This record gives sequence, C-alpha cells and structure tokens, in this order.
Amino acid sequence: MNESQNDFRELKHLLKLKRHESPPPGFFEHFSDEVVNRIRAGEARSQSSVAERLNDHAPWLVNFLRVFEAKPGLIGGFAASLCLLLVLGVVLAEHSESGPQNVFTTASTESASPDGSSAVPSAVPEFASVGAAEGGIAISTNASLQPVASLFGQASGASLFQPASFAPAH
Amino acid sequence: MTMSEPAANPNTPAGMLEGDLVKRAQRGDLQAYDELVKRYQERIYATVYHMTSNHEDANDLAQEAFIKAYSALKSFKGGSTFYTWLYRIAVNKTINFLKQRKNKFHLSLNDIDFNAEHDPDLMALISDKTPTRDVALSELQKKLNEALLKLSEPHRMVVVLHDVQGQSHDEIAEIMGCNIGTVRSRLFYARQQLQGHLAGYIKS
Repeated sequence: MNESQNDFRELKHLLKLKRHESPPPGFFEHFSDEVVNRIRAGEARSQSSVAERLNDHAPWLVNFLRVFEAKPGLIGGFAASLCLLLVLGVVLAEHSESGPQNVFTTASTESASPDGSSAVPSAVPEFASVGAAEGGIAISTNASLQPVASLFGQASGASLFQPASFAPAH
Repeated sequence: MTMSEPAANPNTPAGMLEGDLVKRAQRGDLQAYDELVKRYQERIYATVYHMTSNHEDANDLAQEAFIKAYSALKSFKGGSTFYTWLYRIAVNKTINFLKQRKNKFHLSLNDIDFNAEHDPDLMALISDKTPTRDVALSELQKKLNEALLKLSEPHRMVVVLHDVQGQSHDEIAEIMGCNIGTVRSRLFYARQQLQGHLAGYIKS
C-alpha cells in the first residue's frame, strides 16, 4: 500500500497544477449578480406565464381587463357602479326584513301539516274577520312587512297575511 | 498591543451566519442569497470547471446550480450543511450534463496563474529539455485535462474533490451519496488510470 501511495505522489504533484487554473480576472466580481439577475428574470417570467395561462383559459377576462388598461377612467366608473349596486342591495335588504321570517313561517307550517291544511294561515284571517264582525279592533299590520314576492319568489306568501286595520269596526 | 480586524456587522448579509442567511433566502431575500453565492461561487465553479475542462460550460453550470438551489431552497430542511447540499446539486447537474454530452469534449482551459511557476513540486516535473517553462506548463495542463476527461464521471469527480480541492473522504461520500469505502476504491482506481494516461510525464 505504501508503494502505491509513493507512486501516486508525483501524480498528486501534477494534479496540483489544476489548482493554478484560474478564470479570467474579475470573473467572480459579477458572478453573483448574474445569478441573482437570472433568478429575478425567472420569477418575472413565471409571473408572465400566469398571465398567459389566464389568457388561454379566460380570454374574455383578459380582454375585459385590457379595456381598463386602455381607458383608466372606466375603472372609476366601474367601481362607482359596483358601489351603487352594493348600496341598492343594502337598502333593499333593509326594506325586506320580514321576508325571511315569512319564509320560515311558511316552511314550518308546511312541515307541520303535510296534507297542506295549515292552522296558522287560516287562523289569522279568522281572528281578523271575527274581530271586525264583533265590533272589536281589527289588527292592521304594516304593509311594508308583507313579503316581497319578487325577492323570495313566494307568491303564495301573500295568502298568509291579510291586511288588517285597528280602526273601529262599523 | 495588537489591533484586531473590525468584525463584520452582523446586521448586514456579509456579517451573518450561514444559517441565518439560508433562513432569509428561504423567505425570498435575494440579498441574503447573493451573499451565499459569493461565499461558495469559487468552490462550486472550480469543481464544475475541473470536471468539464471548459470555462464557458463551467460558468453556465455553476450559475444553473445556484439558480436551482434557490428554487429548491424551501425543501432544504438542514439535514446536512447548506454547503454540502449545494455541492450535491452542482455535482448532479454536472454529471447529467456530461452524460448528455457523452464523449464530445471541447477544451476551453483557464490560464495558469503566476504562482504555478513558483511551485517546486510542479517545476520538478517539467523536463529540462523544454524550451520555456510557459510552454511546458501549458502542455502539461492540456495533457492533464485530457487524461482527466478519459475517466468516468464518478471517478473524475472523486479525484477532483479529493486531490484537487482537498475535500475529505467523509465529505465526498456525503456529497456523492455513497459510502466511504466506495470513495476510497474509486479514488485508487482513478489514480491508477491517470497514472497510466500520464506515464510520459510522471517518473515511474
């Protein structure tokens, strides 16, 4: 083993020559900058590839966004109309507070009597009509609390309530 | 009284520990990664250069190794040192490149620095019959690189890491993903092969 190690001594000396091979002067001064620049370029390319994928799958959305790029004033108009829609939605929701309650009432009564003959809907008109007939006070509910058929599609909900009045019956 | 050199500011990337730089780079801090590149660029480049004997290829491969390491940095859990992990990426990338290129080698050697002419071990190898030392060194350089390129990639890698770059058997085993016995046997076989290829330049 010693013999072979001695044999390799000259080879090792010769291999030391490789350590003296140096790249051109200043090569390492810009090396890290090039690496970082390539990383940044790669990141930018991956971002652009996202845009390309969006263009492939939803070209209408890209065209829509391009309109905004071309006419920045449209962004303001679009945002204002979105805000207006939001405000309208809130106002409509406030005016239709009783809507969901009616839906639940309908649902609960329907589930209570599978045969369709509900006790509550029939009781209210009866009470109102009785009161009126006996010279009592007829209950008048606020008209705005009636269900909004257009919002909930409960056209039948109108039959659940009967406008009543507290005015003395004649 | 001795004047000690001022310590690097630990708040700047240059003064940070490797572990902190790696954590910052994992969060996407390119300044921290730039510092890591600066710390290892020479060793990574040298390894790839000695494997390819081509400066342009070494430049490309070393850059690509650093870029790949950055993209894979989130998967680095610290099981080994960052240095070993980075080396492994560079070594695998280089071996894959050489396998794709097969045996089509094109030498593009770097110049030998001035210090080589003052190395007594090297000078002892140069024949007295050679007209000038410069010619002798460049000829020797070419023959040495050609002989290295005749080795298989794993054998060349072991010689480069051990005899040229001075890495230990343990480190080489970790970098190459093999056991120390394999490293030793590859090194012995590679040296034998090299000695045969360079018989005219080495006293037997």
